[in-house]
Amino acid sequence: MNRALNSPWNGLGLVLAGAMLLPIGTALAIESPMPDSGTAQLIARGGGGGGIRSGGGGGGSRGGSLGGGGGLRGGGNSGFSNAGAGLNRGSTRPTGGWSNNARVGAGSGGPSLNRPAAVNRPAAGTRQLPGAGQGGDRMANRDGNRNLNRDVNRNINRDINRNVNRNVNRNWNRTVNINNVNVRPGWARPGWGVARPWNYGWYGGWSTPTWGWWGARAAAWGVATLATSAIINNAVNNAISSNTTYIVVPNTNYQLLFGTVQPSGNNSVSFVMQTNGNNYQLTANCNQGTINGQEPSNAEEAELLNAACQVAFGSV
Amino acid sequence: MLNRNPMCCRIGLLAAAASVLAAAPALAQTNTLYKLETKCSVKGGEPQACVVEAVNEGNATLYRHIIGKSVETIRVTDSPVRMSIWVDSQKKWKNLDSAAARFSTNTICFNDRDLCVVNPNYLNSVKEDRPDATAGRDLIRVQFGADGRIDLTCYDDGCKGVGK
Repeated sequence: MNRALNSPWNGLGLVLAGAMLLPIGTALAIESPMPDSGTAQLIARGGGGGGIRSGGGGGGSRGGSLGGGGGLRGGGNSGFSNAGAGLNRGSTRPTGGWSNNARVGAGSGGPSLNRPAAVNRPAAGTRQLPGAGQGGDRMANRDGNRNLNRDVNRNINRDINRNVNRNVNRNWNRTVNINNVNVRPGWARPGWGVARPWNYGWYGGWSTPTWGWWGARAAAWGVATLATSAIINNAVNNAISSNTTYIVVPNTNYQLLFGTVQPSGNNSVSFVMQTNGNNYQLTANCNQGTINGQEPSNAEEAELLNAACQVAFGSV
Repeated sequence: MLNRNPMCCRIGLLAAAASVLAAAPALAQTNTLYKLETKCSVKGGEPQACVVEAVNEGNATLYRHIIGKSVETIRVTDSPVRMSIWVDSQKKWKNLDSAAARFSTNTICFNDRDLCVVNPNYLNSVKEDRPDATAGRDLIRVQFGADGRIDLTCYDDGCKGVGK
């Protein structure tokens, strides 16, 4: 046995065999057309056992002799690596933990596999999301106009300084590396209102913010209303539909990474927001109306506080 | 009488306990994950209050749905995924034919609509375990073969007509 293995003839034979197989394999890789449906089905059913955590396995999950693309690992993508069973054991503790009350409405709101009715969006005249978009446009337009008349370098410097001073509170000094933050917790998905795993909160089920801290300061901030809960909820729904991890806070240049919202205690919430390319870890007290321990210093900060508290505690 | 020879009695008890442990099948460790107050429906009926107890038992997770005085228990295992329901009259597990979940309503149903429950915990876990496969998905349906393993998984529009 050993002698046979060590035989130079045997080695030569292996090399020849390899040389003969290689072009065939190459030709298969290059020239073979898409498998017919029967073959494709066989591959899919080959499955690899629908291993969930391994990410392997075919859609069929039948543990056949064909291993869910395993033979192709050295080469490219099999196309089946993500095709395992859609459901699994559901025993891995999700971010935010386990809920002990699904908070399903008393009368209705039972289990249903039917697609929920489309949520009525606010009329265009009252929608504030476009306003948020206008915020960005407004700056661009301003910059454009100014650039026409003034030196470019000087404008760049002025814009940077102005944005920093205008958009970011000086007390918001805790920037975070967003790569270290989970922006896609399990609850940030369709049905997020019920899926939020915390079962407490101060909000009280109001559908429109009537924060205790709002009225007294509103005049000073120069705005009459805050974005309603419907607007915030729609923004989150739209973001989830488009697989986006943030919402533009209405009437601001802030982006709220809604998946980072986590309550602490009954009144407070922590979250990450983005502006000017930076990510800030902030805390807010929804009852007292403070961000990082201070009252909002302008309407933008009030809108941010409102949005974070709605995502955390608001009725959906 | 009982106290006359306590050492002997203790030894006897210890021996008995040891023999019971040795004779019993491997007792799976159990670990309660959560108890969820929520709503269930049975065979498409009206929603009713129920409690879901999720318990890890060995290599399976048991979901006990306590609806009034009745209990429906679903057992789920991974690798491969299998689901079965406890048939108390027969004292055995019976493989499910199908299961489906809709994220937007936080609902999972077993055997078509024989048992449906609002269980966001389960779906949050699935969502985090399989972020790529579930991204942008709302409805997931699986059908099991006679051997209890998954024959088919479909998503959203791909589930139209499946199981009918």
